[in-house]
Amino acid sequence: MNRVLPLFLLLPAGASAQGWGNVSKPVEEKGFSWTDPLWPDFWMAWTPATFALFCAIFGAMAILTVLEVMRPGGDERRGALGLVTTRGDRLFISLLGAAWIFIVWMALIGMPLWWPVGIAVAWGVFCFWKV
Amino acid sequence: MKTENQKAWFFVLPVLLLVAFNALVPIMTVVNYSVQETFGDNLFFWQGLDWFQQLLNSERFYAALGRQFLFTGIILAIEVPLGILIALSMPRKGIWVPVCLVLMALPMLIPWNVVGAMWNIFALPKIGMLGYFLNDVLGVPYDMTQNPLAAWITIIVMDVWHWTSLVVLLSYAGLVSISDAYYQAARIDGASRWSVFRYIELPKMKSVLTIAILLRFMDSFNIYTEPFVLTGGGPGNSTTLLSIDLVKIALGQFDLGPAAAMSLIYFAITLLVSWVFYSLMTKDDAK
Repeated sequence: MNRVLPLFLLLPAGASAQGWGNVSKPVEEKGFSWTDPLWPDFWMAWTPATFALFCAIFGAMAILTVLEVMRPGGDERRGALGLVTTRGDRLFISLLGAAWIFIVWMALIGMPLWWPVGIAVAWGVFCFWKV
Repeated sequence: MKTENQKAWFFVLPVLLLVAFNALVPIMTVVNYSVQETFGDNLFFWQGLDWFQQLLNSERFYAALGRQFLFTGIILAIEVPLGILIALSMPRKGIWVPVCLVLMALPMLIPWNVVGAMWNIFALPKIGMLGYFLNDVLGVPYDMTQNPLAAWITIIVMDVWHWTSLVVLLSYAGLVSISDAYYQAARIDGASRWSVFRYIELPKMKSVLTIAILLRFMDSFNIYTEPFVLTGGGPGNSTTLLSIDLVKIALGQFDLGPAAAMSLIYFAITLLVSWVFYSLMTKDDAK
């Protein structure tokens, strides 16, 4: 018995270490999720994922603006499609093409979407390189 | 060296603000809705690309899309040649010019829902003048509320009545800008009427016709009010065009997620067709 008693003394320490005193208060998850509402009280239903998408598009437009200020004229040329395009046209064509690559893939094949991601990136590279 | 006046941008700013609030913010909201599910109360749950996949595999969507392309194809095939023909036969000088122009502009001044209501009353069997005349005087069975073909003919005739004027006015503007020297040269060469049209008038009208076809394509592809008021998408689903179906999903069923996904695909189609058409038409202009 004398040997067991010290073990009972350890019990409350172990209990509090396991958080027994906090049972009534569920711990809030603070992990970041790309798909949870970003600002739940705001009206546009933003999620981090869609926010990132628009940041990418507006970021690309901002880069084009900076490029245009540095080198005016839009880097106009007649490309592989036979169209005269500026940098902005090439961005538009790559974005529209990317959207259609995903739409056609989902209509004909379905999930997962790793292949169309690759094709869309390749299309974007092609647009800025050759079109 | 080219002088660049960057001050112009400040004058564009108000328009940019306006576009931001009536186009950019709504479309960003639609993108957000398209990947989520909501039951109201501003509560949203992530759904990923499920709505897109569901839509792209639904027969209902392809049926509405097919009807939409059929409608747009038919009205373009009628309105563009008819518009050019009317513009060619309009007088270029004299007192009849303003009369013709005002008569042409009249249908376009009427609000869209009024056009739908007018044609509804006009075409109803027993009550409407057209319906009564066809059924009871000529003996042609015509009932746009029961017969899909009659409903289709009615919405097409209504659209032709409402919008051919736009093609006429734009073509006419192109025609009157051609200087007399071209016609004199053609007369000296003994060109036929068809040659004058094919090699002088049509090339000179190319840019305005491009704009006319683009405007008619976009407007007719997005048409909602007139067929909604006229047939309400019926009988059955026979005149349920894409926008009517979209509103049914969004407001009738309150499925904001699927409706948002449908809007984006709808937008992508309009954008792609318009861009391809415009690029093809202006491809050789920048030489």
